Amino acid sequence: MVVNSEPQVFLFLSQILGDNVVDDNGTSLGKIIDVVASLTEPYPIITHMLLKGAQKKPFSLPWQRVNETGGNFVADPQYIEDFREPVLQGGELLLKDTLLDKQIVDTDGAKVRRVNDLQFLKARGYLHLVHVDVGFRGLMRRVGLEKAMDTLSRGFFDYTPHDQFISWKFVQPLSSPDLLQLKISQNRLAQLHPADLADIIEELDIHKRTAVFQSLDIETAAETLEETDPKIQVSLIEDMKVSEASDIIEEMSLSEAADLLGDLPKDKADDILMEMEQDIAEDVKELLSHPEEKAGGLMTTSFLCFTPQVSAGEALERIRKEAEDMDFVYYLYVVDEYEHLLGMLSLRELLVASPETALSELMDTRVVSVSLDEEKEEIADHFAKYGIMAIPVVDETNVIQGVIIFKNLLDVVAPHLGK
Amino acid sequence: MDSSAAKTSFRFKLQNIFPKRTWRSLGIFFALLGPGIITSNVDNDAGGITTYSLAGAEFGLSLLWTLIPITVVLIFIQEMCARMGVVSGKGLSDLIRERFGAKVTFYLMILLFFANLGNTLSEFAGVAASMEIFGISKYISVPMSAIFVWWLVVKGTYKTVEKAFLFACLFYLSYIVSGFLGKPDWSEIGSAIVTPTFSFHPGFLTMVIGIIGTTIAPWMQFYLQSSVVDKGLKTEDYNYIRLDVIFGSVTVNIVAFFIIMLCAVTLFQNGIKIETAKDAALALAPLAGKYCSWLFAFGLLNASLFAASILPLSTAYTICEAFGWESSLDRKFTEAPQFYGMYFLMIFLGAGIILFPDIPLIAIMFYSQVINGALLPFVLIAMLILVNDRRIMGKYTNGPVMNIISWLTVFVVIFISGAMVMTSLR
Repeated sequence: MVVNSEPQVFLFLSQILGDNVVDDNGTSLGKIIDVVASLTEPYPIITHMLLKGAQKKPFSLPWQRVNETGGNFVADPQYIEDFREPVLQGGELLLKDTLLDKQIVDTDGAKVRRVNDLQFLKARGYLHLVHVDVGFRGLMRRVGLEKAMDTLSRGFFDYTPHDQFISWKFVQPLSSPDLLQLKISQNRLAQLHPADLADIIEELDIHKRTAVFQSLDIETAAETLEETDPKIQVSLIEDMKVSEASDIIEEMSLSEAADLLGDLPKDKADDILMEMEQDIAEDVKELLSHPEEKAGGLMTTSFLCFTPQVSAGEALERIRKEAEDMDFVYYLYVVDEYEHLLGMLSLRELLVASPETALSELMDTRVVSVSLDEEKEEIADHFAKYGIMAIPVVDETNVIQGVIIFKNLLDVVAPHLGK
Repeated sequence: MDSSAAKTSFRFKLQNIFPKRTWRSLGIFFALLGPGIITSNVDNDAGGITTYSLAGAEFGLSLLWTLIPITVVLIFIQEMCARMGVVSGKGLSDLIRERFGAKVTFYLMILLFFANLGNTLSEFAGVAASMEIFGISKYISVPMSAIFVWWLVVKGTYKTVEKAFLFACLFYLSYIVSGFLGKPDWSEIGSAIVTPTFSFHPGFLTMVIGIIGTTIAPWMQFYLQSSVVDKGLKTEDYNYIRLDVIFGSVTVNIVAFFIIMLCAVTLFQNGIKIETAKDAALALAPLAGKYCSWLFAFGLLNASLFAASILPLSTAYTICEAFGWESSLDRKFTEAPQFYGMYFLMIFLGAGIILFPDIPLIAIMFYSQVINGALLPFVLIAMLILVNDRRIMGKYTNGPVMNIISWLTVFVVIFISGAMVMTSLR
């Protein structure tokens, strides 16, 4: 609870907009058409009000110079300042223009919402923007039917409507690309899980989609892209410079990257592959050569492979170094010098084994594997039957080609889940 | 040697005629095809077919010429919507909300809801009427079609639904076939098209208003723009979308042409008075044969079902978008209660009201046209303000010529719909 001597007074933006400001003699100076807030943390403070009088150009008044008593605004005309929009300093915002009726992201509920009203808390003579109203009551307040609706729903349904507020702390404005830059407000989108970010991106219009996506750091962007609908993936990447796109795609898992590049127009995909790091590009090209719906197209080539004479300790040491860049680390595959698949063991088995034991003693030689052209349904059957997390893919001579991770298969077998 | 040289030169010639780019462009066109054509064809719904039949039966060929200016106006209006959709990436109700605020949007959406509810009602009435020609009671046909509509849209994905809709567009050909079955005198029709006749007879005026009102309906602008946005079309694709819109607007009026013409050369020339599209279909049987009558009825069924699938969906979509409620068929019911609620309500009321035994159908259809007419000017003015807003459209605002033409168009349409509302209220 806030310990405060003055009572907590809340005010809505809709109650301020359109109000008349008068001078001491009661002559009208103009109507309030917007308010300027400075983006202080945690809650923005209103610094100026924007007025429109008889003249064509709007002008502004410092909030501190306006006396408000019982909903009447009185000000001395000598404090009138010119208002030119570009003069808005960094960290300042026209609240009606950028927020009211616009879309925002509620980072707490991970949803795109439309703003019906803004709620301010009056403290020490200042108005602080504390809540964004996204509820039906807010909408009715704007329409001027709040009281009528309240009475109606209480009378008919014995239900008292309540407000749906989002604390400013969880609001990410979207209406201008600047707002997504770190400089002005902290980019709150970073608080979201990539899967939620992907859902939000899918819901936005083309321009906002691109703006939001490009505001993410490379790693988050890559994770988000993996969770996004393939059609939108393509449109996002097409809007980017080749160099930026290749940075993001490098961070994606190999199989996802290959799927995405396969969906892109050939020219663009080639440009991106040229720009990517040589070894990743090679791996991706390799995956691209297989049909997408079969084992070869579903697998990743980024997995752990060891020769049988390696000891458990050495294996752990290597995993510690390489796991970061691997798509899949929970199974270790054991192969001979020609990469023929000999056996496998799980990370758990490796952890409980004594460090000096050779992998040849630990591995299970009854490995379930599939061929490169295996159909997805068959692979799904294997997963169901053996209850495993991944299946290795081998060619005709039992040389390991890649590993299919359960998640990648799930996207193909049950596309309606997740994404 | 010779033959291979001939082959190369032949291929070379082919490439000259159809450079590679043309083939690719055609491919892109067909991939992007959809929004414009579907919107225009939904426009020829039960109400439209009724109006065209009445126009032909009461005034013969004398109203045929109006279809040419109507096509032009339709293209202008739809082109602006499609352009706004492509450039802004937002639906029309979204833009209206952001530009004009909550209050205007709220009342506009309430009007739109009732206008579209009235339209949906007349679509189900069209289903009932056309199925009765085939001897099926409305107590069977209407509930069945309501379930069909629900199933198609809720169970289908955007792609399958769009394909189903594009396929449904083909059935409008039945009107063209039935038009030929009426054995028209083409030279007479040709001259009727190019000689505008006008009369200040109130019945004639009402009919002109009716034809325009049924062709340019408020919901279309919302639907067209959202489907352009939904397809994720970009500014580069804009030329194809314009083609799509023009193609759609022309085909819709070709269908209208055949309906008016058929009713003119059969019903009008034999002095048969009709009140509904069903009367028209029934009256056609002795004059042009029962196949013609069946085709006519089948066309009506197709048009009604088609529009009944789109109208409730478009309404729910538009309104949810304006108020920021979840609106997607990909969501579950609990995630988008307003969306499904409104969708269900539209179908339930639309189909349910038709089932009342003594429902005054003609009056309901009439008043729904009045609400449409009252709403249209607001939508068009909002559109023109939006399409000229540089902050939204950047360099894609209307040019001066386009603005003069479109404001003129809007004033004519406003005048006409105003006249319609006034005459109906008298």
